[in-house]
Amino acid sequence: MSTAILLLKNIGKIFETEELETHALKSINLTVNKGDYVSISGPSGCGKSTLLSIMGLLDVSSSGEYFIEGVNVTDLSLDQAAEVRNAKIGFIFQSFNLIDELSVFDNVALPLRYHADKPNNATIKKRVIECLEKVGLSHRISHKPNQLSGGQQQRVAIARALVANPAVLLVDEPTGNLDSKSADQVMDVLDQLNKAGTTICMVTHDPRYADMARTKVQLLDGAILQAPVAKMVG
Amino acid sequence: MHLFAYQLKQAFLSLKQKPGFVFSIVSTMGITLGALLCVLTLAYLLLIEPLPYPEQDRLFVAEHKVLGDKKETKTVAYSYAGLVHLYQSKAAFEQAAIMYYDQDVILSHLNQPLVNTTYTTPELHQLLASTMATGQMFTASEALDTNNPVAMLSYNTWQQKYDGSADILEQKINIRGVSYRIVGVLAEGFVEPELAEIGRETQVWLPWDYNQTDQVSRKSFLSIKGNFKFLGQLKKGLSKSQAQQLLTPLVSKRWQEGVADMEFFKAWSIEMRVRSVKDVMLGESESIAVMLLAGVIGLVLIACANISNLFLARTAEKQRQMAIQAAIGATKKQLFKAMLAETSLLMLMSIILALILAKGGFYLMQQYLGAVLPRVNELSLNRITLSCAALTTIILALFFAKLSTRIINYRELNASLQSSGKGSGLRVSTKTRQVLIASQVALATLLVFANFSLLKDAVKTINTPIGFTTNNISTLTLNFSSTPLSSEEEVIAIMAEIIEKLKTLPQVEAIAHGSSPLDGFGIKLLTKLDDNEGHSPYLKRIDHRYFKLIEQPLLQGENFTKLDSRDNNYSMIVNQAFAKQLTPDGDVVGMRLVSINEPEFKIIGIVKDIAIPGDTPFGSDDVAAPIPRAYVPDNLDDNNFILKIKAGQSISRQQLGKLLAEVDARYSVFSFKSANDMLTQSLFTQITTAVTTTVLTLITFFLAGIGLYGILSYSTQMRRFEIGTRMAIGAKRGDLILLIIKDNAKPIISGLLLSLVILLSVYFFFSVDLSTYITLQLAPLFVATLLLISTLSLLACYLPLRRFINSPAISNLQGSE
Repeated sequence: MSTAILLLKNIGKIFETEELETHALKSINLTVNKGDYVSISGPSGCGKSTLLSIMGLLDVSSSGEYFIEGVNVTDLSLDQAAEVRNAKIGFIFQSFNLIDELSVFDNVALPLRYHADKPNNATIKKRVIECLEKVGLSHRISHKPNQLSGGQQQRVAIARALVANPAVLLVDEPTGNLDSKSADQVMDVLDQLNKAGTTICMVTHDPRYADMARTKVQLLDGAILQAPVAKMVG
Repeated sequence: MHLFAYQLKQAFLSLKQKPGFVFSIVSTMGITLGALLCVLTLAYLLLIEPLPYPEQDRLFVAEHKVLGDKKETKTVAYSYAGLVHLYQSKAAFEQAAIMYYDQDVILSHLNQPLVNTTYTTPELHQLLASTMATGQMFTASEALDTNNPVAMLSYNTWQQKYDGSADILEQKINIRGVSYRIVGVLAEGFVEPELAEIGRETQVWLPWDYNQTDQVSRKSFLSIKGNFKFLGQLKKGLSKSQAQQLLTPLVSKRWQEGVADMEFFKAWSIEMRVRSVKDVMLGESESIAVMLLAGVIGLVLIACANISNLFLARTAEKQRQMAIQAAIGATKKQLFKAMLAETSLLMLMSIILALILAKGGFYLMQQYLGAVLPRVNELSLNRITLSCAALTTIILALFFAKLSTRIINYRELNASLQSSGKGSGLRVSTKTRQVLIASQVALATLLVFANFSLLKDAVKTINTPIGFTTNNISTLTLNFSSTPLSSEEEVIAIMAEIIEKLKTLPQVEAIAHGSSPLDGFGIKLLTKLDDNEGHSPYLKRIDHRYFKLIEQPLLQGENFTKLDSRDNNYSMIVNQAFAKQLTPDGDVVGMRLVSINEPEFKIIGIVKDIAIPGDTPFGSDDVAAPIPRAYVPDNLDDNNFILKIKAGQSISRQQLGKLLAEVDARYSVFSFKSANDMLTQSLFTQITTAVTTTVLTLITFFLAGIGLYGILSYSTQMRRFEIGTRMAIGAKRGDLILLIIKDNAKPIISGLLLSLVILLSVYFFFSVDLSTYITLQLAPLFVATLLLISTLSLLACYLPLRRFINSPAISNLQGSE
């Protein structure tokens, strides 16, 4: 029996200015189950990134309800949302968003530094190395991000997203800033992670990579175009 | 040149679009540079500009130090006989003049104004090479013992008191019943050396022979007064120290001969001190000028750090425009020139504002600091001010242009045309930001601390209780305009009648005989009968109503009675400080003291100490200790009165003049002053210091606050995406506040430490010169300053961060608001 990790009920998002009201999302209903690999795709401006921001508690919805592992997280304070993000969600951004001044180790360790459990340095070190090994970058532990290629940087970002054992990885256009070879490597890593049990929800406009997901969600003008289609796994 | 003109035009058009930016820069730099030009001009005048007299480096003032039996300095002042002896000896000086500074009423003038008078020998104006607006200066016919009643007026007196009258040389002026023929008016540009006190300007010059020293005092070596001065031109080849060595035995020997019949002075002596006119005039003003200069330079540096920040942000903003210019072939040098055109225009506007403010500053200094700083009347927008202004404009324009273009990587400019703008703009390097923060913090800490320490001293003096009331108290001094003087009995009768008349005025609540409680003290030499120990307290003659009227408490014993004055009783009341000086337990009631050529004084009471601002003890360097004082009954012929006016009422000078005329037309009002005004006047330096330092502290704090906020805000803005990323991976607001504070702690702590190092260096290397200003007792104040600047820095860290951490993380990641 599937367990819902993320559950969105009638989620809507309106951007308001003095003169204009834009309905970025319209009554989105979506369930992401444990172990899922969901891709969200659609044309530019359809609301993909907005939806991912709301799912990642980076932004708040204008209407509807949102549950993570059965807990209603719709109206959390900024600090409560930060705590949930830290414990339950791992982010991977298009532009990697690594901190230039920090080494690879420190970048990956960052979520653990903010963790409520306050793990000790030995635990942090062990966990960081494990994650860097998963993405094949344990030999680059002391490097600074600007000493790495784009593909390597994105793999560091993946390690950072994994380090706090999140319930779900939210991935925003992971290959957008990469050449095709690096992009393939990154997608391979994500595929491996999902096969190992990690739940992934990914925004992409590349149909090739969208097809790699087991569940595909198509967005158009802020609404889900069709019911999520689950791919048959052979 | 043609291109630069074009760039100037473009810069003007570009700046027109940015009125806020222009206003920030022109107002900040205009105000601080205005202050800098003001203080630079003053410092030049005080420290470098020679005095406007021929051979001014040979003009010296000879001072007469009276040394006690332990060779301690009792006072620095002449006796009449001693001064005239030195003048007539012609020793060490090629030419010399003597002066007696006073105040008199011009009785022949309709308004009977009180004016500053100087009685002098003719050599003074010869030494100063004074020029005349009309008439002539004193000549040999006004030399010592010629008794020729002539007068010279200052230019201002001629203009203000006589409306610049063309027949001024045909007029006479009556002072104290003597009619003086006006023989000349000094030129408008004449600058009087401020030897008596800073800011004092002589309005009427009179021959030496007519000074107000009575015939007995003229022969005395003990009638020592502070208003005698000696100025001379040293003989060629003679040094200052040689002159001192030559004069000391000569003057001391004559003085000791003059007091030989008095045992009290057996071991006393005179030491001559010769100082240049400039040193006498400047006194401590040189250090004030240096401190002011240091303070203002600190302010300008803070302003420069602030403006640097604005220019850096402006360069970042103009990145795309510069990239287009580079793409179409502008060289690095041309981009620098374009930036220089903009900085030049801004600095030009700033310096014009600065010059206007400096002119206003000169006026304010002349109005309010004339009594504190010498030579302020010579302040003007002169070639020094204008040269400094031009040089400052050029240096700052070049500096800001260079700083702005320094952050441009010319090779990467083109890349910015393709960038999405997401965090890829021009950035001020971390090192530059940290240097700016550290320098702001160090400068602000030093300036705020310096101002705090000055403010603390000034406020302490202002708040020190004086020990008596000045509220509704006024002092009336009479002027007697007839010679010969009346007999003592006649004067006593007139004074008694005047008191009765004054009592009839409805505004008068009470009246006492005596001079203002804030002055009128002389020095009395007394010897204790039991151990022959000599004492020299300040002495004042008062009547039985004095202490009650000014509310100075009598602590022990009894007050004078009416009979004490009438019968010339030799009773004395002393203050606590003198009582303790006489015996450690202070129990002196009944003790007897002997004075020279007088019967014994018997102490009948002890009053509470008073603290008159600016008073220094006779023969002691401990300015903080209470001054020993003694009071004796007046002999009823004193022409000074203290009036207690009913609350909310006042008396005019005219009303008093009319009343005096009714009693005896020979008497007129010399001065009528409120004690509160006199107290404010005596606290003028402290009040000026308090106001100036408070304003400077606020400006420093304001500028430092804006500067720190600016650079930290810019720094935080540059880290917006990083903050967004950290928020995305779970950082709470507290984590981010700590992060920013921790990251900025290094330059802030560096700045604080730098200020400490500078202060300690100053303390150790200049401890002798600055011992008055920097002491270890100021350590708590420095800690307080550190806390204040740290709080300011923490606020400057937090406030720019607030808007990022209080909005959803996505706002920072997208860069949207």
